[in-house]
Amino acid sequence: MSLLIYGTITSIILALYTVGFSLTYGISGLANFAHGALYILTGYSVFSFLNQLGLPYFLSAPLSVVIIGFLGFVLYWGLLLRVRGVPLAELIVTFAAGVAILELLMWKGFYGIQYSLPLFVRGGVKLGGVAVDYQRLFVVGTGMVLVVLLYLFVHYTKIGLAFRGMAQNERTALSVGIESDWIGSLSLAVGSALAAVAAVVVLPLGMMESAIGYEVLIYALAVAIIGGLESTPGMIVGSFIVGFGQVATARYIGPKWMIIVPLAAIIFVLVIRPSGLFGKFKELEERI
Amino acid sequence: MVRGGQKVYRKHVRGGDCMRKRIFLMVLCIGIIMSFVITSSPLVFGQTKPAQPAKPAPAAKPEPAKPAQPAKPIIIGVPTSLYTPFGRNGLKAVNLAVEEVNAKGGVLVGKEKRPFKVVVTDTRDGEPATPTHDALMAYEKLILEQKPHAVLVAPFRSEALIASMDLVAKYKIPQLGTIAQTPAFQRQFKTDPEKYKYLFRVTTDATVPGMYLSRALDLLKKDFKLDSIYILYQDTLWAQAFAGVVRKHGQETGWKEVGYDAYAAGASDFSPGLTKAKEGKAQVIAMMWDVPLGAGIFAKQYVAMQVPSLLIGFIPPIAAPEAVKTVGPEVEYSLSVEFPVGASLPLKKLPKTGEFLSKFKKKYGTLPEAPAVNSSAYDSVFILAQAIERAGSLDADKLVAALEQTDYKGVSGRIRINKEQHTAIFGDKDPNETGVAVVFQWQKDKMGNLVRVPIYPDFVAEGKILLPPWMK
Amino acid sequence: MAEVEAKYRKKRLDRGIKARADTIFAIASYKEILYLVLPRALPVILLLALPLVLTGYWGKVLVYACVYGLLALSWDFLASCGLFSLGQAFFLGIGAYIAGTLSYYFHWPPVITLPIATIGGGVISAALLSPVVRLRGVYFAMVTLMLPMLFMKMIETTGIFGGTHGLSALKPLAKGWGGTYLVIGVFLVSLFIFRRIINEDYGLVLRAIRDDDRAVMSAAINIYWRKIQALFVAGAVGAFAGAFMTHHYQFVGMSVFALDYSILPVAAAALGGPGTFAGAALGSMILVPLSEALRALSGLRIAIYCVIMILSVIALPEGIFHYIERKYHQFERLVRVG
Repeated sequence: MSLLIYGTITSIILALYTVGFSLTYGISGLANFAHGALYILTGYSVFSFLNQLGLPYFLSAPLSVVIIGFLGFVLYWGLLLRVRGVPLAELIVTFAAGVAILELLMWKGFYGIQYSLPLFVRGGVKLGGVAVDYQRLFVVGTGMVLVVLLYLFVHYTKIGLAFRGMAQNERTALSVGIESDWIGSLSLAVGSALAAVAAVVVLPLGMMESAIGYEVLIYALAVAIIGGLESTPGMIVGSFIVGFGQVATARYIGPKWMIIVPLAAIIFVLVIRPSGLFGKFKELEERI
Repeated sequence: MVRGGQKVYRKHVRGGDCMRKRIFLMVLCIGIIMSFVITSSPLVFGQTKPAQPAKPAPAAKPEPAKPAQPAKPIIIGVPTSLYTPFGRNGLKAVNLAVEEVNAKGGVLVGKEKRPFKVVVTDTRDGEPATPTHDALMAYEKLILEQKPHAVLVAPFRSEALIASMDLVAKYKIPQLGTIAQTPAFQRQFKTDPEKYKYLFRVTTDATVPGMYLSRALDLLKKDFKLDSIYILYQDTLWAQAFAGVVRKHGQETGWKEVGYDAYAAGASDFSPGLTKAKEGKAQVIAMMWDVPLGAGIFAKQYVAMQVPSLLIGFIPPIAAPEAVKTVGPEVEYSLSVEFPVGASLPLKKLPKTGEFLSKFKKKYGTLPEAPAVNSSAYDSVFILAQAIERAGSLDADKLVAALEQTDYKGVSGRIRINKEQHTAIFGDKDPNETGVAVVFQWQKDKMGNLVRVPIYPDFVAEGKILLPPWMK
Repeated sequence: MAEVEAKYRKKRLDRGIKARADTIFAIASYKEILYLVLPRALPVILLLALPLVLTGYWGKVLVYACVYGLLALSWDFLASCGLFSLGQAFFLGIGAYIAGTLSYYFHWPPVITLPIATIGGGVISAALLSPVVRLRGVYFAMVTLMLPMLFMKMIETTGIFGGTHGLSALKPLAKGWGGTYLVIGVFLVSLFIFRRIINEDYGLVLRAIRDDDRAVMSAAINIYWRKIQALFVAGAVGAFAGAFMTHHYQFVGMSVFALDYSILPVAAAALGGPGTFAGAALGSMILVPLSEALRALSGLRIAIYCVIMILSVIALPEGIFHYIERKYHQFERLVRVG
């Protein structure tokens, strides 16, 4: 029973990690490898606001989300715009930016037990005999809301459809009046903001450290690839597969193998079915 | 790209391309400045490395007390990972001790008194992404450029320590390690004692806290008849050794083992283990971890999952002075082992620990961060000083012979060297005989504040173990 | 950008000597010969002479720079084929571990372990990466990013090959300059071989695969097999670097799969100019000593590589080498228009 509950919670946390990444990569076709870095940067920003400026929690969290969203916008405008069209340059540039941010944080000494965000509310409930704290319930709630919102946004709003249009065929999108520069930056901004929201709810569950940034990126990649890049149901299924896979591995094989699950899963999926379980880009399989 | 079509109309004057680049650079700068606005702050930001960002220049004490000091300084090298609290605090402790030694005029080498000088290099081996070769390069750079006469503290990562053994043997520089706890050190040493004779460890190794925890378990069994235990440890050699000692003892004294699990050092989810403990009705959870990430997450999950077990072991966030703030009031009743004494808890019955910690606080403004093996770093300076005076020279071989004769009563107890292994002798019977550690418990004092009360061994105990009310 | 009429244009002309040194006339006089030979001979002479001058710590940095140079060359070779690898550490690690385990468990001397590690490393990397070869470039990059991490975690978890402690006290290479000259020699030889190959038919096919694979496929060339061959070659070069490093430092541990080893070759190649191997070599010769000099800044180093990488990709995509080459062969003038 507890396996079920904690497996679900882990899966939803993974889905939260992936939502922002999936929006930019799966939907707009922009690889944002700085995802993990933005995640940790949010945590850092909230921590600074809380401890340095003494702002209350309900102010520092949304403020950080806005700042990180803006940073995503700047990232696109400043960096990605210059290299659009050059194959794989986006990947290098965002990856390098992400690593630079994480290393910068590490250099500033972002390491130690004092770097932890407080829980929103202390205490918990018992679900079927298993103690679940309020923070985790909050995480589950936020996760579900975000996923539903993402789906609705991408399928039913004009801007969401513009995002998808840009990924499918940029020239056509331009000819119907979708300005790719602006939409691209918006997409990255929203993606980063989503990563920030995930950070704000999930980070109080543990500690903050630059190493988590790399981890989040790997998990986001794993879930996005397994589920299939531009499909939201795929993302959910992917996160459940990886989440339960990890918890089950820990339970039945041994906890030290937990970390291997997402890595092996990515490689496995890429080799067997590269477009992911629900993916629609079948060309990946033949295309190089 | 449509953009390309516009190029024709751009200014082709020299400034044209530059203008684009200028705008780009401006935006990049804005982005970077943004992140700095968020990140940097003139206010004190935790214990980030203040003046120490490892410049290989003397980060140590200015010596204004003795202005025209003609004697050449004795150079102490400190190659360690300043990223980790162990390294940072080790360096601070060394600097503190060096200041004291120099204030007394220095160390008598033969006929003249010479001061200590500390040179630092950041080997970065505490950061997971750093290759060990990199750390070794940094270490070698320190040796070749600064030519230290002795090395203190030493690398943090066990892998780096073992790899550095060959390096130290090659350059013949005495090294007193005060961080890495791995028993592989002794193993490597025994393969060629003559070659590795320059290496010493003056702090505990993993078996010492293991022994202390075992005794604490005995107390729990004796006083409260507890008998089921779940052991969780970090998948590294030192923690394996630590856990192994505790497990063996548990098996020998009739503890029921609900589980014995190793988690990868980068693990971020302990819920499977905590669930196992809860379902197996383990009364005690023994946990050994050193990196703040895993330990912090474990502490928080333990609280969140409301596991009704007594927590015992080496979990830095729970042992730290600020545990109540970072983890919460649920740390009450948890037992931690601090090794050696004086790392962060002042003990009333061992006044030297209190002295060291208040000197540290006076100089640096805060107590050492947990986890910390600072007292060993502090003592190592005096041990070195005494050895130099005994040997009467800085010659490496003579120094090594003198170090083997070490008999120093310091903050961590009485330090003597086991000649077969070149490690310090630790025990739990008498601080005047060996080095010692301590086990303490968070308890509420008369005013309701949570304080750390040492409960074992007897010669430092200030209270007895209390059983949580939810366990009765 | 306003629509401004251009007043000036840049006029680029070949230098006189370049025109004079064409084909057979290269041997017309010593000036032409020097013009052609100097850019090739200079780095060779420099690299061969430096170990005699630099001793101690900076000599080690030179060796380190050559190791990274080999990794950058291997990256560039893969990039010329359209395979974008973010995991050079993988090749390094495979080679390092093969050499390390052979040396540790069987006590074979470096003379035997180095060739075995090189060939074996190439074979293993090609074999492990061959299933991914048919995917889009981004996916290859992702897999190469994951593979070193996977291996590192596997070694950490299973504890084989020395686990977290690594294997130490391995056999060293020959004393003195033997090791240094070995790596410099291999580095120079690889550089020249790669530069030569890429302009021969074989390299032409590889470059064509990068530019338009469908065209190559329709020419009845099996692109997957060619890519696997490219992986073998690049893997072998990387594995040699790893095996060399193992014996040079007499130690191998799981940190040989660290991210550092993957990032720096990419930064070096991006800085020097991707596509020309000399650029990758130049880039690593600049970056590695720079990083050693910046050691005082500890963690900031990697942030600086990344910033350099970003700036190179954006502001100077052709790389330093192309820029130097252009300046060497041509000169520019601003000429009034109309």
